[in-house]
Amino acid sequence: MYQYSQDDHQLLQERVSQFRDQVSRRLKGDLSEDEFKQQRLRNGLYLQLHAYMLRVAVPYGLLSSEQMRTLAHIARTYDRGYGHFSTRQNIQYNWPKLEDVPKILDDLAAVEMHAIQTSGNCIRNTTSDPLAGVARDEIADPRPYCELIRQWSTFHPEFNFLPRKFKIAVSGAIHDRAAVAVHDIGIRLIKKDAGELGLEIYVGGGLGRTPMIGKLIRDFLPPHDMLTYLEAILRVYNKLGRRDNLYKARIKILVHETGEEKFRELVEAEWQEVKESKLRLRDEDIKNIQAHFKDPDYENLSDFDSDFDKELISDPDFAKWADNNLELHKQDGYRVVYLSLKSKNQPTGDVTADQMDAIADLADKYSHGAIRSTHRQNLVLSDVRLKDLHSLWGELKTLDLATPNYNHLTDIISCPGMDYCALATARSIPIAQALTERFDTYDYVNDLGDISLNISGCINACGHHHVANIGILGVNKKGVEVYQITLGGSAREDASIGKIIGPAFTADKIVQAIADLLDVYLENREDPEETFLTAYRRLGPAPFKEKLYG
Amino acid sequence: MGNFIKDRKPQDDPWTPYTGLEDVDNLPTGDVYVPFEEWQSQKEALKLRNNRLGVILENTDDVAELVPDFDRLDLVVLQFPKMADGRAFTQAKLLRERYGYTGEIRAVGDVLHDQVFYMQRCGFNAFEMRPDQDIPTVLHAFDEMTVTYQPSADEELPIWRR
Amino acid sequence: MTLQVYTASLLKEGLVAYLCIDTEGSYWSTDLNKAATAETDQAETLKSLAEQAERENIVIAAYAVDVELTENGTRPLENRERIRAYGPTITLPQSSDTKQAIVRAA
Repeated sequence: MYQYSQDDHQLLQERVSQFRDQVSRRLKGDLSEDEFKQQRLRNGLYLQLHAYMLRVAVPYGLLSSEQMRTLAHIARTYDRGYGHFSTRQNIQYNWPKLEDVPKILDDLAAVEMHAIQTSGNCIRNTTSDPLAGVARDEIADPRPYCELIRQWSTFHPEFNFLPRKFKIAVSGAIHDRAAVAVHDIGIRLIKKDAGELGLEIYVGGGLGRTPMIGKLIRDFLPPHDMLTYLEAILRVYNKLGRRDNLYKARIKILVHETGEEKFRELVEAEWQEVKESKLRLRDEDIKNIQAHFKDPDYENLSDFDSDFDKELISDPDFAKWADNNLELHKQDGYRVVYLSLKSKNQPTGDVTADQMDAIADLADKYSHGAIRSTHRQNLVLSDVRLKDLHSLWGELKTLDLATPNYNHLTDIISCPGMDYCALATARSIPIAQALTERFDTYDYVNDLGDISLNISGCINACGHHHVANIGILGVNKKGVEVYQITLGGSAREDASIGKIIGPAFTADKIVQAIADLLDVYLENREDPEETFLTAYRRLGPAPFKEKLYG
Repeated sequence: MGNFIKDRKPQDDPWTPYTGLEDVDNLPTGDVYVPFEEWQSQKEALKLRNNRLGVILENTDDVAELVPDFDRLDLVVLQFPKMADGRAFTQAKLLRERYGYTGEIRAVGDVLHDQVFYMQRCGFNAFEMRPDQDIPTVLHAFDEMTVTYQPSADEELPIWRR
Repeated sequence: MTLQVYTASLLKEGLVAYLCIDTEGSYWSTDLNKAATAETDQAETLKSLAEQAERENIVIAAYAVDVELTENGTRPLENRERIRAYGPTITLPQSSDTKQAIVRAA
């Protein structure tokens, strides 16, 4: 992973001092709350329903075991013993005290971590494929490009007071595991037939109250032009993005109101002015950053391991887990392992300090000390030998991190909802837990196959319900929490926005409604290979509607 | 000495804003700056004066329109109607980097301690601080961060090329 | 007419607090049952005390909450405010050696 230079270290230290000073000016009363809010948000510090919340950046989802141990230490020392991984691969603490935050930032800085630009109307932490560098379907490693974007966007003097927040995601594989279509800018690394690498640039995707799929505004940008092109897009947005209405300030609205063609012209015209600037990447600039992302020392192994095969047969529970929670690795003899943060005993994405420490130890023992966080709120050990899988699984099981549900029904994305969030209008976690409790049978869940179910506790859609095959949106209707269902969304390379199926259900009816929808799928699918989404796209909403509303 | 900082020092402000209500003949003596609209309609008359001239832009105005008059403009004033409105950052950056303006670029409006670092990086060198800002403290803000990643008005190369 | 209390977040800790009045004057407590209550049309004093505490940088974002008095104590009428007062409705993850107190005013 990227190793900090002396400059990077100094920047973090200066940033901590600056924030410490801002906190002290606030506590003395020299800074008003309104003005302090602008500053604390730029350092990931929110005021939520019960307490402050600190969002710590996990740059493009990469964590070392040492960093994970620091996260555990922070959870124990300054919080209530746990943290929450978000859909943007970051980690959030729910109970820090304002006066402790500078100390937390000191601890983070010591392991090259921070909370810079994890909130506020600026360029946020760049997200990426959690399988970057190891995926078998990878075209090119997105991490060096993410790191270049991190450096370019950190304290960018021109783009720190944008009309609204700005999220960038980069994917370098055939399958999109970073939801690039629903980001302000989505970048996909692609190759022409001749092998030449280029970038597809999507602009104006996003969820919230106006969900939109990003528009492809450049179909093959040379990688050297990435930062100049981003600079051009951001400049057009900073000049022309709406500032009169909070709800119309995202770039998706600008793209929509300007029109895709005209927006592209504006960006291209601006780009002509900056494309030859010093921001243009030279070969050596890219190579120097790429050198930070070398493969670990893989052993020369066969992709067949007789012990592993025997264990699959002798231990059916292991086989179930291995079937669902592993992914092929580019290196023979290795697998990518998903650690499910979707046990029925703990809220989605939550990890205790004890689990964090144990995960760090497992990463050291089995996976070159590296951990990744994922868009779907799970963790990944990316480089595990086939022969180690059975022992790793045994240890994960005792940690309650081995629920065999990756990309299955109970692998639910859920926002914190009204149990924590100041904006939420309904609770999400109890619904996720009720569903997980109800669909706790491996055979049933496994038979359903690949499916996504996401829950948001308000229209801001942090739970990404719009892009789930089955989405649930909690709203407040005359003081009662009710839950609306959307069907047909996808966050992958076939991205689409789900459609509302009908009137909302109360909390006590929503689980049965989901069960009914699943019945419709099971009764109508052509064969077990046809996924829920494919079946829905073939059948349309009618049979589902009929089942729910008669 | 009030709330004015130029080139990182508290200074007296020699400029007088011209509101556009007076006739050109009755302009106050000394250095004046005028709204962009007045500049466009009366610049020939204004240019006959023996004092320095400046212009104040709305943050939606296009700075490129000033380029032909750079040699007669000693000051461009850019506005921050509220702290969160960052359009003037782009205006300043374009003036300095793209069009090579070398005169004074001044920030007015909601100009606060925690923004001057970014403003100076975009090319602002003068600041009418909001009256409640503590000037001695603000002077430290220019150096709070010494590491910068991007090329900008104050730095030619990105960090990976230095 | 509805009974009201004033709530806000403590600036330093961020925790939910309620405006209380005793013989010494006003103070803020995380315990809703200690909160001073007033009918809507008589809540002006509470309001001005809450605003004063904001100006003095003791609390942030003060506002009135509709409540009722029950035999178990003061109870907010709205669900959101009940969650604010009593804490998350789910079982929170537990870890060893956690230094921050997990107790909440009930």
